[in-house]
This record gives sequence, C-alpha cells and structure tokens, in this order.
Amino acid sequence: MAKGMFVDTTICTGCKACQVACKQWNGLSAEPAHFGKRSGVPYPVADNFTGDSYDNTGTLSATDWRHVRFIEQIDESRREKRWLFSSDSCKHCSDAGCLNACPTKAIVRTDLGNVVVQQETCIGCKFCIPSCPYGVISFSEETGTAHKCTLCNDRIHNGLGTACAKACPTGSIRFGELADLKKRADARLAQLKGKGEQARIYGYEEADGLKVFYLFADRPKVYGQPEDPVVPQRRLVLCSLVTILTAIGVGAAALVNFRERLNGKDEEESNES
Amino acid sequence: MSPEIIQPPEWAWYYIAVYFFVAGTSAGAYFIGAMEELFGSGGEREVSRAACYIAFPLLVLVPIPLIADLGRPERFWHLFIYNQGGYPYLNLVSPMSVGSWVLLIFSACALLSFLDNLVADRVISFPLFSRYYNRIPRRLYAVLGSLAGFFIAGYTGVLLNVTARPFWAATSPLMGALFIVSGASTGAAAISLYLIWRRRNSGGEVERLEAFDRVVMVSELVLIALLLVLAGRTALPLMTLPFVAMFWLGTVALGIVVPLWFKYRSRRHPFGDAPVLAHYLCILAGGLLLRISLLQAGQL
Ligand code: SF4
Ligand code: SF4
Repeated sequence: MAKGMFVDTTICTGCKACQVACKQWNGLSAEPAHFGKRSGVPYPVADNFTGDSYDNTGTLSATDWRHVRFIEQIDESRREKRWLFSSDSCKHCSDAGCLNACPTKAIVRTDLGNVVVQQETCIGCKFCIPSCPYGVISFSEETGTAHKCTLCNDRIHNGLGTACAKACPTGSIRFGELADLKKRADARLAQLKGKGEQARIYGYEEADGLKVFYLFADRPKVYGQPEDPVVPQRRLVLCSLVTILTAIGVGAAALVNFRERLNGKDEEESNES
Repeated sequence: MSPEIIQPPEWAWYYIAVYFFVAGTSAGAYFIGAMEELFGSGGEREVSRAACYIAFPLLVLVPIPLIADLGRPERFWHLFIYNQGGYPYLNLVSPMSVGSWVLLIFSACALLSFLDNLVADRVISFPLFSRYYNRIPRRLYAVLGSLAGFFIAGYTGVLLNVTARPFWAATSPLMGALFIVSGASTGAAAISLYLIWRRRNSGGEVERLEAFDRVVMVSELVLIALLLVLAGRTALPLMTLPFVAMFWLGTVALGIVVPLWFKYRSRRHPFGDAPVLAHYLCILAGGLLLRISLLQAGQL
C-alpha cells in the first residue's frame, strides 16, 4: 500500500510549477530569510538573488518544501553544454533519520508510508534537523517547530495524488503505488541506457529505500544529493559500546586508585601497629 | 554546490554546551563520591560528602537551559508523555529521549544522596525520615546513581555522534567517551574546589582523588588526539580563530596540559594555595570550552 513519488529528472523543464503548487496547497508563506527591510519601503523586499542559474530558492526550508535545482554543465572548451533540472523534496525514507531522532513521537509514519511532523506534538528540540541525511527537515522560528513535506498527507488520504505531481506538466514527478513507480522507473532506465545515455536510479537502496526516488543523468552529488547517505542512528550501537567501555575504564581507574591505595594504607597501618 | 547539505540544529551554545558541561560535572562528581562511598575506607567521608553537595545543586540548574533552548518551551513535558495518547513515551534509538528519562533517575538518586548527607550532617532532620534513615538502601542508589551519572555524562556525546553533521558524524564513536572522561575530570576538580572552600583539602582521600584525576586527564588527551585523527578534514574549523583560542589554548593547553604538568610537579614541590586553586579553575574552564568547541565546530 506504500505510496511514493518517482522524479524523472531527465524530462524536467525547470518550470517550478511543483514549487508553486506545493506552496498553494499547503498554504506556505514565502521564506522569511529571503526578504529584507528596505528603508522607505513599507513591505519586505526580496533580496535572495543567488546568481546560481534560475535558482533563487537555494535550499529546502520550513516554508520551501520543494526546490527545483538548475545545474549548468559546460565543458572546458565551452562547446558542449547541458542544463540539468531536478525537483527536490523530502524523500520519505523507509528508515528515516528524522523519525528515529524525535524524542516526542512528533514525527510519525502513516499507513501510506509517508513521514509527517505532528505540529501539536513537536517541542522544537531541533534534534531531527541534523539527523536527516538529506538536510530536508527545517526549523521555523515562527512556529517554534520543525516542518517538512508531508507527501500531501491530507490529499493522499483522500484519494488524490500530491499537489506537485498533479501540477507537473511533463510528468517528471509521478505519484502512485511504489511498486508501479518502480516498474516505470526501470523501464525508463532501460530505455535511456538503450540509447547509450548515462542514467541511474537514486533511492532504491539508500536508507532502506526512499519513497520519493529519482532518475538522474549524472552522479547524485551533481544534483546536490549525498553519494553515500548514512542513516545516522546506524552508528548508535558502536557509539554506545565505546562509551560504555570508557565508563568501565574510568570506573576501573577509580577502583584501582581508591582501593589499591586503601589497601596500601591498611598495610602501612598494620605494619605500624 | 556542495553535496553536504545537512543542516545544523543551531543549538545555542550558551544553553546546550553549558548544559553538557554542568550535567557532565555533576555526574562525574556523583560517580567519584559513590566510588569513595562504596570502596573507600569509610573512615573519611569528605570526598563523598562533597560530591553529594555538588551533584544535586548543579542538577537543579540543568532543566533551565534545556527548556529554554526549545522552540516551544511550554511543551517540554512531551519528552515524557505523548501528548496525543497521554501515555509515557520512550524512543530507544533517540539519545535525547533516553537521556531525558535517565536524567530523571539520576536526579532522584542525587536528591536522595543530598538529603542523606544533610541528615547525616544534622543540617536538617525529618522525624519520619530519621526513623527510616538506617533502612534506606544507600548503596543501592549510589550504584544506580553512578550508572545513571555515567549515562548522563556520556550520552550527550553519543547524541552528537548519531547526527549527520560532518564533524559530529566523523568523530563517531569517540565523542561519548571523551565527554565521560572530561566529566570525571571536571567532577574531580569541582570536588577539590569544594574541599578547599571547606578547608578540608588534605589527607589520603584527596591524594587518591588526585591520582585518579591524573589518570583521567592523560586519557582525555589521548582521546582528543584520536578524535582529531578520526575527524580529519571535518576538524578544520578547529584551526580557525575563535576555536584556536577556545579549543587549543583554552581546553588543550590551559585546561589539560598545564594542570597536568602542575599536578605532577606539585607532588615533589608543593605550590602555594593560590596556584592550586587556579589549576582547578583551569580544569573546569577547559571542560566548558571543550563542550563549546565541539558543539560549535559541528554547527558552522
Ligand atoms: S528525507 Fe530527511 S526529512 Fe525526509 S523522511 Fe528522510 S530523514 Fe526525514
Ligand atoms: S524538533 Fe520536533 S519533530 Fe524535530 S525531533 Fe524535536 S520534537 Fe521531534
């Protein structure tokens, strides 16, 4: 029953319809960090022009749950060029670092497999923020809580697809049953490989499988995705063991010092007597 | 564009690093006191008494920075009770969740030891308490409190190690170990300072404490070296300005190396009271700067 999205970046045109649809459906305001005050102007003025191709969103944030990246690739002789686009969001990991980290059960997985933050429960401890291996979940000063894409939790539980997939004019973002999406992805991959093009799927193995996975035409890092993401909690057992061993070591040091000297002293005393 | 897009939590150092330090010192002191209580001769009780008088008052301060750093401080109780179900909640893979619960256990043990000493010192007396006084299993909560104390000193390091921030992830699995060792050393320094204040800083007990502290501080240096090797390139922030002063000068030089040299030297050539006092203060300051440096180096 797990739902998800398949993002075929090779047919994305960078129109940002998904970003707009996401903002509208989820009622998200503009990113406060992108606006500044200018003297004499009564309203906030946008000041986040990144100079990075057509990208002025920059990163995912508490109010930007979708982010279209623009990657300009030009070879050294400036003859060959390629413009890559990719629409990024929360991956709804099967082993989600953010969900593992949350101490209050504010982050939960629904029956459809998506990962959501329950705003009424979140205390704003911010532990989930560095625990996401994709840098997705973000803290909002305004609400004092963590926010991220919900996979349109309200829509998908009422038989609709996600707003971004609905708005995407090229079918680059597809919503559906995970199994169907994988079939589609494999077929598309085979088609591209057949044409001799470089292509790879990102998200089959990572974090036990990403519910939102991608078809990339280049290495993941070109698209701003980590090459070897690690669910950070997988280090927990080793870290705990080393810490416990150290505790035993410190305990032993204390024992040796407090006991040995005690015995030594006892001997001295008995010698004296 | 950098593929390292993992966001920092932006925990305020004046809350979180200070919490790491205060809790670590309290836990270290408690553990040392308990060890003296359990394995000492029983003749002198100065160290274990000092430990109890330090551990609990420090712990009382702890909730303040922890709650103040939350985005929604008024909801702090969600750490213990799932607000939508009304039942207690514990997430075993989240050091923050387990740590919150263990903090409760540790506080209870520290409170009991604190009261115990107040009664023994006849500062307070409860008729009811006194009646049952001798039946309280003191050793039991000393052991339980020490275990919880170790957890409190160490889990904060593990908490940093199990995030995806490059520096914190690269230093895995040593941060917890370093925090435990540092907590033991600042705990010992706090006890020594208390004893100086009460003018009880002499005798075999204090010597044993010093011997223990020397071992701990040498291992702290070794752990810092190992941690930096593990960190590799992610430790580069530690080479930039505020960190050179805080970490290298403050923690490593003034907080560990100089006090250690002082300790070895003073065994043969006793120094005056002022330098002794100063070197304990240096150890404490070094411990605080260690937490601030390692927290902030991961958030840059
Ligand atoms: S991508 Fe990050 S925020 Fe989304 S589910 Fe995975 S860990 Fe959580
Ligand atoms: S900030 Fe909120 S969602 Fe994130 S770990 Fe803390 S309580 Fe959970």
